[in-house]
Amino acid sequence: MSRALLLRAPALRAPALRAGRRTVVLAAAVSAGVLLIVGLAAGWASGGHSNVTYVDGSDSAVLYAAGHRPLAPDFSGTTLTGSRLSFSSYRGNVVVLNFWGSWCVPCREEASTLASVAALYRSSGVAFLGVDVRDTTASALAFTRSFGISYPSVTDPSSAITLDFTSVVPIAGTPTTLVIDRTGHIAGAVFGSATYPELTAILAKVTGKAAAEAVSR
Amino acid sequence: MTDVRAPETDPFDSAGTERDGRRPEGPVSPAAGTLGLTDWLKWAWRQLTSMRIALVLLFLLALGSVPGSMLPQQGSDPAGVAQYYTSHPALAPLLNHLGLFDVFGAPWFAAIYLLLFASLVGCVVPRTFRLAGSARTLPPRAPRNLARLPVSAEYAAALAPAGAVEVAARVLSGHGFRLRRPAEPDDAGTGSWLSAEKGYLREAGNLVFHLALLGVLVSVALGGLFGYKADRLLVQGTSFADTQSALDEFYPGRLVTAADLPPFTITLNSFDASYISSGPQRGQPSSFDAQVSYTASPGGPVRTDRIEVNRPLSVDGAKVYLIGHGYAPEFKVTDARGQVVYDGAQPFISGTTGNFLSEGVLKVSGAEPEQLGFSGVFVPTAVDIDGTLESVFPAADNPVVSLIAYAGNLGMNTGPSQSVYQMNTAGMKRLTPDPQLLLVGQSLKLPDGQGTITFTGYRQWVSLTITHDPGQLPALVCGMAALGGLLLSFLVRRRRVFVRARASQQGSTVQVGGLTRTDASGAFSEEFASLAAELRSAHQRAAQDQGAPPHVQAAPIRQEGE
Repeated sequence: MSRALLLRAPALRAPALRAGRRTVVLAAAVSAGVLLIVGLAAGWASGGHSNVTYVDGSDSAVLYAAGHRPLAPDFSGTTLTGSRLSFSSYRGNVVVLNFWGSWCVPCREEASTLASVAALYRSSGVAFLGVDVRDTTASALAFTRSFGISYPSVTDPSSAITLDFTSVVPIAGTPTTLVIDRTGHIAGAVFGSATYPELTAILAKVTGKAAAEAVSR
Repeated sequence: MTDVRAPETDPFDSAGTERDGRRPEGPVSPAAGTLGLTDWLKWAWRQLTSMRIALVLLFLLALGSVPGSMLPQQGSDPAGVAQYYTSHPALAPLLNHLGLFDVFGAPWFAAIYLLLFASLVGCVVPRTFRLAGSARTLPPRAPRNLARLPVSAEYAAALAPAGAVEVAARVLSGHGFRLRRPAEPDDAGTGSWLSAEKGYLREAGNLVFHLALLGVLVSVALGGLFGYKADRLLVQGTSFADTQSALDEFYPGRLVTAADLPPFTITLNSFDASYISSGPQRGQPSSFDAQVSYTASPGGPVRTDRIEVNRPLSVDGAKVYLIGHGYAPEFKVTDARGQVVYDGAQPFISGTTGNFLSEGVLKVSGAEPEQLGFSGVFVPTAVDIDGTLESVFPAADNPVVSLIAYAGNLGMNTGPSQSVYQMNTAGMKRLTPDPQLLLVGQSLKLPDGQGTITFTGYRQWVSLTITHDPGQLPALVCGMAALGGLLLSFLVRRRRVFVRARASQQGSTVQVGGLTRTDASGAFSEEFASLAAELRSAHQRAAQDQGAPPHVQAAPIRQEGE
């Protein structure tokens, strides 16, 4: 497109510029206003959490600042072995709550890490508890046998427990691991497959004991 | 939009012409070479809000959505994108760079629709103001010679011109005309006059149409920003909570997060599908009926309801639609060590072939020492036709599964998430050379003591779509309003009637003239004729009511007049 052609167009339009200036300006203002509101809303919606720090350089593992830790909802359910379990009976302990399913590939990836960290921190009063999501008991028990997981899991076939927790932490999928402090507040979370460095970093912060100290007790 | 332009290009409307934002190019301006920055900006704005550019943008929007349906999209089909990367290793990164795997989130796509939005708003808003102004304007002064108008009538009346006009005013305002009378009682030498106009509903309709159009835009934006859609497959006898990790697919709007999902829980108590069992329609579905119980929020009261096709369940602002169904055969699997490693229902998906011949896989990842996998076909009403198993009816009258067993590594311990409907058999060896048929209750012993699989029964499943579109109702209302406005603006004509009374020997000569924009159907000519007749008889009646014969009245009038 030549410059001459570009220049000609406004010339052709020039007489129209005089007229309706008020409405043109008004329309421009309205459009700009709408765009501004949409932009602000989008920016506001995607705004970050200032009370959260990221663990181990990843945005999937977070620590909640003291005073900004969400209170974990209470729940009770049936374990894979058929006994009743109430979350409130864990009050006073640091609890690692792991949402998992035997069908889920990243859950299988993190399973041995969870088993070994559970063993590592057992003597430090850290209890591990699983929430088995959208699963069948036979498959879930086979999973715990395969990975040598000795801590109990509550069945959550309808994701009802997950729903309760979604009101306080943004659980987007399985697995999700929450670290709950002794007062029952959620101190840290790993969204997705948990790694050893992520989990031990959060636990070190919450228990005050690094992994090396924990194992030495 | 141009179809219902304000009547600015029409001599009928004297006010419109110079306020049009979208008229054809005028003559070349002598000031062409001296355009400043503001002029350029104004020019750009005029270009943007011109119908031509709006159409180009609309076309670009349609064109831009084409790759969205041709190429796998990251949001809806991440596995398809991964597949594309492996099959087109050179092309895929280039396409990704252009945002073609996430078309509807790509900046260039956003640019197109934001420009289109600005263009439409920039068109509609000024037009709305102009229409509002046009709806308020008074009719113009009556022309001097009403006989020149498309329709006119002339008759003598035994009334003074001012009285004749007064009578005409009563008649016309009785017919809903808006009147304009001279500021001074009489124009020298031309007699009394009156302008009347009717059909302002046309402008009102036009105004409604344009406002409703804006409303549709806003509604669509509302839906796109605050709406969502989610899918979930639910097996009979199971429940799910409406939370992101329990959904199979979740497509949130731009400003929706998982926290905005209403916290309901739905249990599928039973599902009944009825089929026509005889005649040429045999096997066609006659009804679907999902019996559900649900709570609107955790701990809330449990309610029961039915979901049928086109009869969604409404819960907490969301609508739950029944969009599909199928069979989930139930299996019990023991591994080589005799442990029960699977006991449950596995949804199978019916293909395009009829009668719900369904395929699926069963991945037994907990089997020891080797993982087990089965690929299977569920046949609801099985009949052996020449050695091939066919389903002859969609209901499960004679359910049979056909299984091929595998042992080895399912590839589930690391790597990307897997579909529960697909199995990667690359790391597995096939245990059964031929597909093995099982009836309900029958078991298959795997070779070499690898385990046993039992076909214990079947359940039905439904697939549900959960949608929330806050723009849906406003869009419907605005759409209907737009249609109504459009009809009004097409059906109602602006029409003017002028009356002039000049003093004459009998009293006055009344001229009536009518003008409308187009009168192809002749409806206005008829209306005018009947109006003129009514005016005439009203004048006669008024003259008689004055109680004097016409010739007595004539003299004083002549004195006043010409």
